Amino acid sequence: MTRSPIFETFRYAAILIALAITLVPILWMASMAFKPIPEWQATGQNLTWIPKDPTLDNFRFIFGESSSNLIVALDRTAVQPIVASLLASVLGTLIAMTAGTAAAYGLSRYGSGQNLPLALLQLRLFPPMAVMIPVMIMWAFLGFMDTWWGLALIYGIVTLPFAFWLMKTFFDDMPREIEEAAMVEGCSRWRVFTRITLPMMRAPLASAALFVFILNWSDYLIALLLTTREWVTIPVYMASLSSSMTGQLYGAKAALGLIAAVPPVILGILIQRHLVRGLTFGALKQ
Amino acid sequence: MTLADAPLAPPVPPTPAEDGARLGFRLTLPAQVLVLFIAVFPLLMQLYISLTDWSPLAGVAWPRAWEFWNGFANYSDLAQDGRLWAALGRTALVMAVCVPVEFLLGLSLAMLFVDEFPGKRVAYSILIMPMMVVPAVAGYMFFMLFQSGGPVNGLLGTLLGRDIAVAWLSDPTLALVAVMIADIWQWTPLMFLILLAGLVGVPQDQMRAATLLGASAWQRFRTIALPRMKTIMIIALAIRVIENFKIFDTLYIMTGGGPGVATETISVYIYEVTTQDLIWGYVAAIALAILVILSVAAVWAMKRMGRAAA
Repeated sequence: MTRSPIFETFRYAAILIALAITLVPILWMASMAFKPIPEWQATGQNLTWIPKDPTLDNFRFIFGESSSNLIVALDRTAVQPIVASLLASVLGTLIAMTAGTAAAYGLSRYGSGQNLPLALLQLRLFPPMAVMIPVMIMWAFLGFMDTWWGLALIYGIVTLPFAFWLMKTFFDDMPREIEEAAMVEGCSRWRVFTRITLPMMRAPLASAALFVFILNWSDYLIALLLTTREWVTIPVYMASLSSSMTGQLYGAKAALGLIAAVPPVILGILIQRHLVRGLTFGALKQ
Repeated sequence: MTLADAPLAPPVPPTPAEDGARLGFRLTLPAQVLVLFIAVFPLLMQLYISLTDWSPLAGVAWPRAWEFWNGFANYSDLAQDGRLWAALGRTALVMAVCVPVEFLLGLSLAMLFVDEFPGKRVAYSILIMPMMVVPAVAGYMFFMLFQSGGPVNGLLGTLLGRDIAVAWLSDPTLALVAVMIADIWQWTPLMFLILLAGLVGVPQDQMRAATLLGASAWQRFRTIALPRMKTIMIIALAIRVIENFKIFDTLYIMTGGGPGVATETISVYIYEVTTQDLIWGYVAAIALAILVILSVAAVWAMKRMGRAAA
C-alpha cells in the first residue's frame, strides 16, 4: 500500500520517540554500571549521560575485589545470589516443564485431567501474596526456607500454568498421523511419547522452557519471602547493596542489575516468535 | 479416570482405549499433585488460621492455633481496616490509569507496525525489551531516574532551561505518578505485542478494498479491524488487569509503599502486615477475602465474555 510522505514522516517520528523512551532507562542503568563513584550522584549541569571516566570497578566490587575507591566492604559477594537465581530458576523450569508437558500430552491425546486447564488458569489469576502465609508455614515445616530447592519447587508450581498451556497448544497443533502410524507398527503409547513425539517437539519445548525460565528468573516477591540470607536471589541481594554510611551504592546496583537484565532480554528476543502464544496462554498464535 | 476409580482397574489385559486412559492418567498425575499441593491444603490451612489470632510469634505451632480462636472477628475487622480499603482503592486507581494508557499506546504503536518498512525488525525487537527486564531491576532503574538529581529532572531542566529538583519519590502524589510511569514503560510492550499479532491477522485485501471504496482510516478500523480484534483486545486487557492487580516488584523497590502509605497497593499492604506486624491470622483473613472476591469477579467476567462472544 502506498502511503503519503506525511504519514511516513509521522510514522518514523513516532517510532523514534517510542524507541528513545524504551531505551533511555536501560541505557541509563548500563551507563551507571560503568561510572566511577564521583559520577554516581552528579546532578544538574554535571549530570553525565556517558561515563566520563568509564571503569569496571563496580563489577569488581560486587564480585568481592575490595576497591580503594569504595569506602565499604561487602560482607557477601554477588556470586552466591547469582548461583541461587540460576539454580532455582533452572530447577523450577525443569519441574514446570516436566509436569506441564506430561499433563498437556495426557490431556491433548487421551483427554485426561479435564479439570487442569481451569485449575491452572485460576492458579495464574491469584496474587502469590494471597497464598504466601500457608506456603511459608509449609516451607518452614519441610525445612525449605532459605534454600534454592525450596524456591525452585514454588517456582515450578507458579509457572506450571504457562508450561502446561504452551505445550498443550503445541501438542494440539501437531498432526497425529505419525504417532498413529508408529502405534500401528506396534510401538507402545509410552514409547511413542518419549521416542517420537518429544524429539519432534524439540523446538517448541525449548521455546516454552526459555519462556518459563524468564518468568522464574524475574521473580522478586517469592524470593523476598522465602529466602533470608544463604540463598537470596539477585533482586533480593540487590536491595541490600546500600549502607548506612554511604547510602545507595548506585554503580554497584546498576552493575548487578545489568547482569540480571541481560539474559532474559536476549532469551526473549530469541523466542519472540512464541512470546504472544506464551503470554496469552495459547489463545493467540503469531 | 478419576482418583477414586483408579484402584478398580480390571486385572484382565486392558483394551487399547483403557491403555490410553491409563497412560493419560499417569501423565497428568504430577500436575494434579502439584495443584493439590498448592491449592487445596494451603487454602484449608489458611481458612483455619484466619479464624484465630495466631501469629508465628505465638509460641505454638500452627496446628494448635485453635488456642487463639476468635471466630469471625478477623473478618469483621476487615470492614473497619481503613488502611486495607485505602490500599485497595489505590490499586484500583493505578489499574484505572495504567491499563487504559498501556492499551491505547500499545494499540497506536501496533497500528504503525502493520505494514513493512525498513528497520521494522530491529525497532520491534527493541520495543518489546522492557517487558523482558526483570521487574525488580526495572524498579531500580526508575528509582535512579526519579532521584531529585537524576536524569528525569535533568531532561526537564534542559527542556525548561532552568534547574529542576523535584523530589519525585518523596512526594505522595508524584511518587504514585512515578510508579505508574514505570508500570506503563514496562507493560505497554505487552499490549503492543499482543495487539499487533491481532492486527496482522486482519485480512489486508479487505482493508485495501475498503480504501479503494473511499473508506477513511477510522472507518476501516472500526468496521473491519475492530470486530476481528475484539477477542484479542479482551484477552490483552484481561492479562494486564490481572497482572496489574498484583503490582508489587517495581513499586516496592521504587518507593517501598511510601512516602508513608502513599503508594501502598494491596500486595504491598499484605506484605507489610505479613512481615512487620506478623498478625498472620488477620493476614490469612485478608488473603482469603481477596481470593473470594477475585474468584467471583473472574466467574462474572468469564460469563460476560462468553455472552459478548456469542
